[in-house]
Amino acid sequence: MNNAKMWLVVKPTVGVPLFLGAVAVGSFAVHVAVLSNTTWVADFLSGASAGGSAALQTEQAILPASADATTLPMYIETHADGTQMMRVILPDGRSATLVMDDLTQAALR
Amino acid sequence: MSNDPEKVWPTGLTLKEAEEVHSYLIDGTRVFGAIALLAHVLVAVSTPWLG
Repeated sequence: MNNAKMWLVVKPTVGVPLFLGAVAVGSFAVHVAVLSNTTWVADFLSGASAGGSAALQTEQAILPASADATTLPMYIETHADGTQMMRVILPDGRSATLVMDDLTQAALR
Repeated sequence: MSNDPEKVWPTGLTLKEAEEVHSYLIDGTRVFGAIALLAHVLVAVSTPWLG
């Protein structure tokens, strides 16, 4: 009870709400700072996995940074429903298809 | 009761009352801290928080 004598000076009706309010405001501020300085909370709230490793893997470049975008054998096709598809001719001759779908629009359909 | 010699002003609490108020505050802080610690451990293992 080191500091119990503070309540002889500070009224508990003032000091206790002040203390609890300070804790609430402080922890709220920290969580707002985390929300506004990271992306993984927003990603999680948008449906991504809470474990960040999967989300990080999707951000890995599939083409080397040295690739020249103007000479890449890449074709973009737009469908009538607004979705886009990207066709890439891989170095070994195979073709790969990337579908770019607006997930927010897809969820509304 | 207002002339209780045990009371200390400006709050008018006795030392025993002040210690009782303080004990509840300390207990509450400990419970809050324990729950917060558990929550932070769970967040640390399940999200990219702290890398």
